[in-house]
Amino acid sequence: MSFFSIDNMSVIFGGLRAVSNVSLALGEGEIHGVIGPNGAGKTSLINAVSGLVPMAGGTIHLDGKPLQALPPHRRAAAGIGRTFQHAEIFPDQSVIANVMTGGFAHRQSSLLQDFLGTPGKAAAERQARREAEQMLDAFGLLSFCDALAGDLPFGTLKKIDLARALVGKPRVLMLDEPTSGMNDTEAQEVIAACRRIAGELRVTLLVIEHNMRVIMGLANMIHVLDHGEKIADGTPAEIQRNPLVIEAYLGHGSAAHA
Amino acid sequence: MSDFSLMGLKAPTVIFGAALLLLALALPPWFGSYHHYLASLALINIIMAVGLNILTGNAGQISLCNSSFMAIGAYATTYLSVKLGLSYWLALPLGGVISAISGFFLGFPALRLRGFYLAVVTLGFLEVSQILIEQLPGITGGVRGISSPRPALFGHTLSSDLSFYYVILAITLATIWCAYSLLRSPTGRAFEAIRSSEAAAQTLAVPLAQTKLAAFVISAFFAGIGGGLFASLVGFIDPLEFGVWTSVRHVVFIVVGGLGSITGSVVGAIVLTVLPEVLRAFKEYQEFVFGGLLLVVLILLPHGLVGLGPAIRARLTQSDATSVAAAQRGVAE
Repeated sequence: MSFFSIDNMSVIFGGLRAVSNVSLALGEGEIHGVIGPNGAGKTSLINAVSGLVPMAGGTIHLDGKPLQALPPHRRAAAGIGRTFQHAEIFPDQSVIANVMTGGFAHRQSSLLQDFLGTPGKAAAERQARREAEQMLDAFGLLSFCDALAGDLPFGTLKKIDLARALVGKPRVLMLDEPTSGMNDTEAQEVIAACRRIAGELRVTLLVIEHNMRVIMGLANMIHVLDHGEKIADGTPAEIQRNPLVIEAYLGHGSAAHA
Repeated sequence: MSDFSLMGLKAPTVIFGAALLLLALALPPWFGSYHHYLASLALINIIMAVGLNILTGNAGQISLCNSSFMAIGAYATTYLSVKLGLSYWLALPLGGVISAISGFFLGFPALRLRGFYLAVVTLGFLEVSQILIEQLPGITGGVRGISSPRPALFGHTLSSDLSFYYVILAITLATIWCAYSLLRSPTGRAFEAIRSSEAAAQTLAVPLAQTKLAAFVISAFFAGIGGGLFASLVGFIDPLEFGVWTSVRHVVFIVVGGLGSITGSVVGAIVLTVLPEVLRAFKEYQEFVFGGLLLVVLILLPHGLVGLGPAIRARLTQSDATSVAAAQRGVAE
């Protein structure tokens, strides 16, 4: 069995099958891409993995353990991390507080210690801050530490979202359009940082991406969704030649001309 | 900008806090009993505001029944110490714990409800607690109320308002310490996370239900302690003290002071406890002036009184920038 697998997952909103019997499997440390036109069900797929939307059917396994029955926070604690298309940063908080929140699953102090302000809690807090600072440094954001997150541009928020997710030391990290709102240079930097950190921490990545250049250069394997169904998977080179994929992107009848 | 900071606090906050503490310690002996009483009331209001601000300002849960938890603390402390003969110093924290347990139960509807709906449920809780106070005269003295004597410390009754003031000051400082520690901890960040984005919070392993319940429990604990102190300070409690107007006042403390800010809770509680006394000079226009001032603050300072500091600083740096620009123009010309 693969390290991380989704089997026959379906997500239904009212009468709409947003995700229909999709299966995918990732080996540990692999980077897989998910592509598809708007409304193909990419974000619904990872929302269902996170547990933010209910699954109509299917299973999710991480390292042999089933996750589909767990509430969202337990899935996160089990090692499923993610970022958001719109970053979902806490705007009233400083950048460092945002990133430190990402370490919640690994907190070293109890509620009572937090309340009483024991020396042990203070030490845990310093350690958490150091880890968050290191992660911000890796994305070149250390100078924004004490800035209010709500004051920063979207591209920066996307990086903070990524840093916040990585501080949680996820085993699988799902990235929802990690480079949207960035120019090409910025996108390449973020992807490089992401690939380096994922390699060091042995994080398995599942990446939704619209920027084809980015995803083709990053992923070992690409899955293509269209109207909620998986229509193809393969290496980036295979996907670029696949007539079904070209048709999904360019419309019917285009494959012959492509 | 100065880079000075102490335990993550900015320089103006540290200077302001130290000055306030110095005044709170040194000034009272020069004043009379009425002022000690008023200052004690302000401190209790700080405890109430700090607790409510954690629940509402940080964790984002609206509550209109903070006064009910205050009542639970007040009656529990009084009952345990007067009727059961427990030491006040044991009865007071127990009153806080009993209030916290009630907060835990109120937290359950909050798991399913948000905003106005939650506010209405907390109003219901307030009504129920008012009725219970009236219907349980054996414990609460019913509508006629119950007297709650001053405690003794080291065999010495704290009958003077000054001595009890210092006890309340110590407990208020402990409250601020706990709130400060909490907000700079995983728990405090979890509160902020569920207020800002429940979806993001959950994907960062923050459990929604436990976190909301924790916020209700902690806030109710502070309110219970505040209530226990209030009972002994005033010496007599009846259900009218803990009605909806008291809850609304607590909400006004934190909104005027600054939501989500401990400094805001402190400033809001002090200003709004002292202001009505100062406004006595206006006689029958007192409430009118009070309401008008509230409106002005809320319109001019959407972040509350604590927003005043950054606003002034921004104005100062702006005028610096314009004077620098003017100077440069002067050079160019």
